[in-house]
Amino acid sequence: MGLPLPMVPQLPEGKAFGLLARFKDAPAIHAACEKVRDAGYTKWDSHTPFPVHGLDRAMGLKASRLPWIVLTTGLSGAAGGMLLQYWVSVHAYALVISGKPLFSWPAFVPVTFELGVLFGALGAVFGMFALNRLPMLFHPLFSANSFAAATDDGFFISIESWDPKYDETATAALLREAGAIEVEVVNNE
Amino acid sequence: MSHGPRIVDAAQMDLPAGSLWRRLPLFSAIAAIVGIGASFAMRAGDEKQFYFSWLVAFLYFMSLGLGALLFVLIQYATKTGWGIVVRRLAENTAAGLIVMVLAFIPVYIGLDKMYAWTDEAHLDEIVRGKMWFLGAENYIVFGVLYFAVWIFLAWWFRAGSVKQDLTGDHDLTRRRIVVAGPAIVLVALTLTFASFHWAMSLDPHWYSTIFGVYYFAGSFVCVFAFLSLVVLGLRRAGALEGFVTVEHRHDLGKLLFAFVVFWAYIGFSQFFLIWYANIPEETEWYLERMHHGWQPVTIFLAVGHFGLPFLYLMSRHIKRNKLTLGLGAAWMLFMHFVDLHWVVMPAHHGKEFGVTLLDVTTMLGVGGLFLTAFGFCLTRAKLVPAKDPRLIESITFENF
Amino acid sequence: MAHQLDNTHEPVEGRAPLILGGHDFKSLTGKVAEPLERKTPLGWWLCFLPSVAMLSVLGIAVAWLFWEGVGIWGLNNPVGWGWAIVNFVFWVGIGHAGTLISAILFLFRQKWRTSINRSAEAMTIFAVMCALIFPGIHVGRVWVAYWMFPLPNQMAMWPNFRSPLIWDVFAVSTYATVSLLFWYVGLIPDLATIRDRATSRLKKIIYGLFALGWRASTRHWQHYERAYLILAALATPLVLSVHSIVSMDFAASQLPGWHTTIFPPYFVAGAIFSGFAMVVTLMVICRKAFKMEAILTLRHFENMAKIIMVTGMMVGYAYAIEFFIAAYSGNPYEQFVFINRAFGPYAWAYWIMVGCNVLSPQIFWFKRFRTNLKVLFVMSIFVNIGMWFERFVIVVTSLHRDFLPSSWDYYSPTFWDVLTLIGSFGLFFTMFCLFARFLPMVAMAEVKTVLPGADPHGDGPKAVIQGAD
Repeated sequence: MGLPLPMVPQLPEGKAFGLLARFKDAPAIHAACEKVRDAGYTKWDSHTPFPVHGLDRAMGLKASRLPWIVLTTGLSGAAGGMLLQYWVSVHAYALVISGKPLFSWPAFVPVTFELGVLFGALGAVFGMFALNRLPMLFHPLFSANSFAAATDDGFFISIESWDPKYDETATAALLREAGAIEVEVVNNE
Repeated sequence: MSHGPRIVDAAQMDLPAGSLWRRLPLFSAIAAIVGIGASFAMRAGDEKQFYFSWLVAFLYFMSLGLGALLFVLIQYATKTGWGIVVRRLAENTAAGLIVMVLAFIPVYIGLDKMYAWTDEAHLDEIVRGKMWFLGAENYIVFGVLYFAVWIFLAWWFRAGSVKQDLTGDHDLTRRRIVVAGPAIVLVALTLTFASFHWAMSLDPHWYSTIFGVYYFAGSFVCVFAFLSLVVLGLRRAGALEGFVTVEHRHDLGKLLFAFVVFWAYIGFSQFFLIWYANIPEETEWYLERMHHGWQPVTIFLAVGHFGLPFLYLMSRHIKRNKLTLGLGAAWMLFMHFVDLHWVVMPAHHGKEFGVTLLDVTTMLGVGGLFLTAFGFCLTRAKLVPAKDPRLIESITFENF
Repeated sequence: MAHQLDNTHEPVEGRAPLILGGHDFKSLTGKVAEPLERKTPLGWWLCFLPSVAMLSVLGIAVAWLFWEGVGIWGLNNPVGWGWAIVNFVFWVGIGHAGTLISAILFLFRQKWRTSINRSAEAMTIFAVMCALIFPGIHVGRVWVAYWMFPLPNQMAMWPNFRSPLIWDVFAVSTYATVSLLFWYVGLIPDLATIRDRATSRLKKIIYGLFALGWRASTRHWQHYERAYLILAALATPLVLSVHSIVSMDFAASQLPGWHTTIFPPYFVAGAIFSGFAMVVTLMVICRKAFKMEAILTLRHFENMAKIIMVTGMMVGYAYAIEFFIAAYSGNPYEQFVFINRAFGPYAWAYWIMVGCNVLSPQIFWFKRFRTNLKVLFVMSIFVNIGMWFERFVIVVTSLHRDFLPSSWDYYSPTFWDVLTLIGSFGLFFTMFCLFARFLPMVAMAEVKTVLPGADPHGDGPKAVIQGAD
């Protein structure tokens, strides 16, 4: 397929998507993530029903770039708000009101602030969607048998088959050694 | 990587032998003598200036002590966990209020040099109608009442906390949790009326309902900046290792940031509503400050007390780094002085902005006095509430 | 029940549990999802149908207003702003507790917020919807209501950005948008939970679409948590600004009783005060209806009672300082307004306000009352009555005595004023019923973070002080 579909993952060709391992609880998955990280895997993820504190560090993830996105959109919103009011009040529809100067900056602070917050919040939410590639309504993991528990009480690690270090038996052994109570091969599609 | 409990050394709760911090009371006392001596020496030259400068210094260190007292009370009332490791430092800061009563004496002596309402023979009808609240008698009676409340609370909360270091009695904590709620109500009211008496009435015609909140906002900026610096200094001296971590500094930084914004919110609300409505009896206060010599100071205050620190302190890296947090905190301590100078001094200088040597010497003198008490308390007890039941929770707390 | 249901006693040596009933992750999911998965109970219809009936009252009242004009309301010459603005401020204020819980308590790491934040945020959105009705309908010529927005039009006309009313348009619409985003972001993981539990294909598709394909991945959680924190950090000043700007509708004027500098923070405190009361009203009912005693525990209610008391005292502080400064100002107009409020023709409204907002919350000094749900329920209604009257007192008492005594008049609402207010409650309760039926009313993913077993380093002490005597 030539065109990238926004709601479908762009995955390399391959028979298996990878391995999905289930762990008992939060401490177990934290320890296991450190092991997988230290083993040098890069194309992998963990899935937990709630954000487990410090798991991003245990996985060796870099800090989110989201704050920069928000700073940019927020400042643009505020600047745009001030410019809009300046243009409207000084150029487009210049009226003297309550004896105040045409450019009465204190009176423009509320709208400037509101638009800064509005665009900052839009940047935060849609920036987060973009960074997470959401919405993505289909994903091979959804076909795994036990994966529904990831939004209930299941703690999972998934390792993708196109990770350079991936080897179905060796990787499965690593996951078992790291404390997996169940390891499953997930098909691509 | 092991996840066993972190081991923290109890010796870190004491100042190391030979640390310069141990001589803080001595150095501060010298600073107090030099500062107060020099100020009094210059008093004859410009008596009015002496009293106004003294009032700014007095209001400055009062706000520091009151901010610290409120911080301690709020910690008890909300059963705070994270802040236990910095609570003793705040208790010591609040103890500075006890000696500030000495600094109040020159303020009272200089009343007629500072407050227009003391000149009863030449008052207009409006100000005469305010003498049920103003007037030298009210000033001293209320002043004594305010100090009685604050000194008692500052002493009682610290005394129990220090006693707990020895006895480990958890009832001391329980009793303070009960008292903290009503105590906050008392301090909120006394702080408000004190700010009316001491600062707002410098211009007896002017009034603003938010003025007490404005003084409170500045006091919280001051106390979190101060505590950040003290914590950094103590860690540098080799104390509090393992107790006060980057997480606590980050939290102090966040609170500093929050109250920088809160101060701006309150300050802007006051300015904005008065500017917008443009009623003569209110605008005079801002007219004085927004024209002539005070205009640059007003702009500097808006930029330096809000604009720059807002952008600077926003980043979590700035708040977690020792040097950058220290710079931000020191800057805010300075800006808080600019703020109070800007509130008080137009009543003296009129249209012209001016700084004199007396502004420096009174800050040194009153500050020395305040820090003598702070240092005295600091060196005579543990640096953290050693047996507070939530100490471990506080040590191990982590930000998001 | 075998488990102890009182967690209001917190020993100084530790923390009382937030969630009772021995819940683990799985049982919590089940408990929260259950109301969405069973057949619609009769009780729900008993709440929903009367709410819809009240909503139709709103429809009738608004239709008649559009037909006949604002003359059907009780407005008169000095009192040109009546119940419409009172109701607007009342409803916007209600919303503020939701944002306080979701944003400010989040920044202060108040973990107890997790049990109530979802429904409080929902309440915020519905309250803002109710509020938005009033500026929309009160303009008289509703067909030009779009003039409130800076839209190019055939008359080359632009809004006046120096008017507090235009700030309101921006503040309230930003507030509505950000609240909705915040709420939805919080919902995504829980919608995924419902999707994964759904048994019917239709439910799977609908919840699945809104869950956006969430797969609870840590790489996602990382950006998600950052987004949530940033939204909280943005919503905190936003919520302060919204009611501050609403207060400027009054305070930017020159009218005694309206123009006073403490209005912005005072309105914010009052908004949070009334909003928490509404949360308590709703949560007392939901706790009983959904048998959520173990999740919405007494401790949650006790904490809300404390916030009600604190914000009530902030409001009381503002009343007192306003009175004090009026006396101190030496301005006869200021003095007249406040004496007139307390002893004039609207003294009855004033004393309802003081009684409900300042005096009655004082009983929350006593733990006995903070932990008694019946008392809390009654008190929460008192507070909302008081806060409605606060806005009534501010609007009407300042207006009905004009500077010219010849213009003095007494304002009374009409039948249609009353119907519109009742109708707005209909909208509010209808929306809340729909929410409680179709969406998880407790933030499961968030509550799970405060359950035992959530901490990857175990639940034991994480530091030991060595060498302590």
